[in-house]
Amino acid sequence: MRILIVEDDVEAAGAMARGLSEAGIETVHAADGVLGLAAAQAGGFHVLVIDRMMPNMDGLTLVETLRREGDQTPVLFLSALGEIDDRVAGLKAGGDDYLVKPYAFAELSARVEALARRRETGSVQTMIKVGDLEMDLIGRVVHRHGKEIDLQPREFQLLEYLMRHAGQSVTRTMLLEKVWEYHFDPQTNVIDVHISRLRAKIDKGFDHPMLQTVRGAGYRLEV
Amino acid sequence: MAIALPRVFRTTPFRLTLLFLSVFAASASIFLGYIYVATAGEVTSRADEAITQEIQSLTGVYRQGGVKALNRSMVERATGDRPFLYLLRDQTGQRITGTLEASPVEGFTGTQKSVNFKVTDTDSDGAEVRHSARGQQVRLAGGEILFVASDVSGAESFVLKILRAIWGAGALVILLGLAGGVLISRNVNETMAGLNRVVIAVRGGDIAARAKLRGANDEFDELASGLNDMLDRLERSMGGLRHVGDAIAHDLRSPLSRLRSRLELALIEAETGKGDAQAALGQALEDADGVLSTFNAVLAITRLQSAVEAPDQVRFDPGDLAKGVAELYEPLCEDKAIEFKLEATPALIVRGNREFIAQALANILDNAVKYTPEGGAVRLRVRRRASGEVEFSVTDTGPGVPELDRPRVVQRFVRLEHSRSQPGAGLGLSLVAAVAEAHGGRLELDEGPGALNGSGPGLRVALVLPRPS
Repeated sequence: MRILIVEDDVEAAGAMARGLSEAGIETVHAADGVLGLAAAQAGGFHVLVIDRMMPNMDGLTLVETLRREGDQTPVLFLSALGEIDDRVAGLKAGGDDYLVKPYAFAELSARVEALARRRETGSVQTMIKVGDLEMDLIGRVVHRHGKEIDLQPREFQLLEYLMRHAGQSVTRTMLLEKVWEYHFDPQTNVIDVHISRLRAKIDKGFDHPMLQTVRGAGYRLEV
Repeated sequence: MAIALPRVFRTTPFRLTLLFLSVFAASASIFLGYIYVATAGEVTSRADEAITQEIQSLTGVYRQGGVKALNRSMVERATGDRPFLYLLRDQTGQRITGTLEASPVEGFTGTQKSVNFKVTDTDSDGAEVRHSARGQQVRLAGGEILFVASDVSGAESFVLKILRAIWGAGALVILLGLAGGVLISRNVNETMAGLNRVVIAVRGGDIAARAKLRGANDEFDELASGLNDMLDRLERSMGGLRHVGDAIAHDLRSPLSRLRSRLELALIEAETGKGDAQAALGQALEDADGVLSTFNAVLAITRLQSAVEAPDQVRFDPGDLAKGVAELYEPLCEDKAIEFKLEATPALIVRGNREFIAQALANILDNAVKYTPEGGAVRLRVRRRASGEVEFSVTDTGPGVPELDRPRVVQRFVRLEHSRSQPGAGLGLSLVAAVAEAHGGRLELDEGPGALNGSGPGLRVALVLPRPS
């Protein structure tokens, strides 16, 4: 995977590149908005990671320009200590995800991977299959190894998200944002409780556990 | 060179009094002047009328009996209470008869024309007195000139009395007005000086200075209580700032120094090739995350507090929002064997920032679940109060918060003794309070359902939002 980092803080960009290369992601760095736009226009990136505040051209303008030109490459905005309206402005400008600095590399790489993957599954699905786990999106039923699993609506959504990102690390914050649509940080790790509940339903009584905990990052659904 | 007037004369009320007095004096002068002119005019026109009648009557006598009858009639009339003065002259102007020795009018200047003149008389003591008189003359059919006058000194003194009364009243009004102005100015001056003293004291650093209310419930009291309110808020936020400073020093210094020593140790151990550098780094990362999340929370609270109102407000059903947050915490309750119940009045509407309110509610629920012992109960209720306000209330059966500590737990970084063992930075309720305030609402803390079987008395936390307009 190849991503473009548009970030004026060279040291931060270097750290980011190192962090992402640990996750097997190849990075290209552009040091300001104008250079970033030129690099993005040249193409060949799976994801663009763009800082909001930059000299010459700010991140919002860069993404707006790209989107006007029809470029649909997924964009992850980075910004220092964001407020809700910052995030909304970023998404309005054509951003796909938003991450507030300082962030954990695990969070960044998980989100970058999720964005890159989203690209690949463009068609409308009616069925998701991960190993022996099958989800019928129309009938809203889940089977594992042919056995029906009874899920609450939210558990269904949680599992759907995990299945769509099967094989990838998914952080707690991502789950809270994408499944519950909350953008705050609950003091207690409520997500862990929901995961263990879901885990009890999909893994208990089967030969191997699919829902893995990724230390320091979050969770991963594996075949 | 400016004249140094006493302070009281430089006050706005005194100046306003002067302005009012001059406007009043001008309008009173016009009014009284009109009265004077009207009165004086009335007096002379009455005298003229009487003289005209007398002349007509005498002319009638002359027509019937000639000069002789006229003379007789004049003598008869003059011996009365001498209301009129007479002079009859012949064609050449020689005096024939009359009570006047000479004509005050030179020659004959016309008929029926009124003239003013002075007549000398002797009073009861024999002294000479000059009276004002007013007369008219007429040429009779035989060429004689008849002059009839009336003593108007009585009427004139009446007019003079009125004039004096007018002047006296005017002077009195101006004097009283000035005195009143001085009194009002002094009063206002004292009140303003009181307020001024407070401002000077606060400027000098004494934030605890407060204005005294006079109990008059007037605009000055309103100003004073407004000033006091402002100072209260200022003092609280300054106190809050100082508190945050202390708390940051305390709450962030210890994890930061822990982080520092961990890193230092890891470095030393890595150099000597012993110890678990990886575990130390993992711990250090956790410490750093804790410091960052505290910073984020403080930042969020400060931003909310400095915003006039929460951004991105929309109308929504509070029951739906509560259901979503409740669902997030339900499994946590189940794990702790806490009985959780949500009671929401359907189809309510509030206006606000969904995200902030959800976070506030999550913070309240988080606390409730954290402090409620196993086997306890937590209830989330959404309802409309009779006032039209919408409240989200969370009641738990935990240890509660003593009444005296309730205002304190809302402050940033305040953590009660028994809660120090629990995770958290003591910012949860501060954020809830900030969210409530940014929506024009408030946070209420009350006792829960009461003590039972060694637990309780519990806590009831309510986030109250105003009725949507």
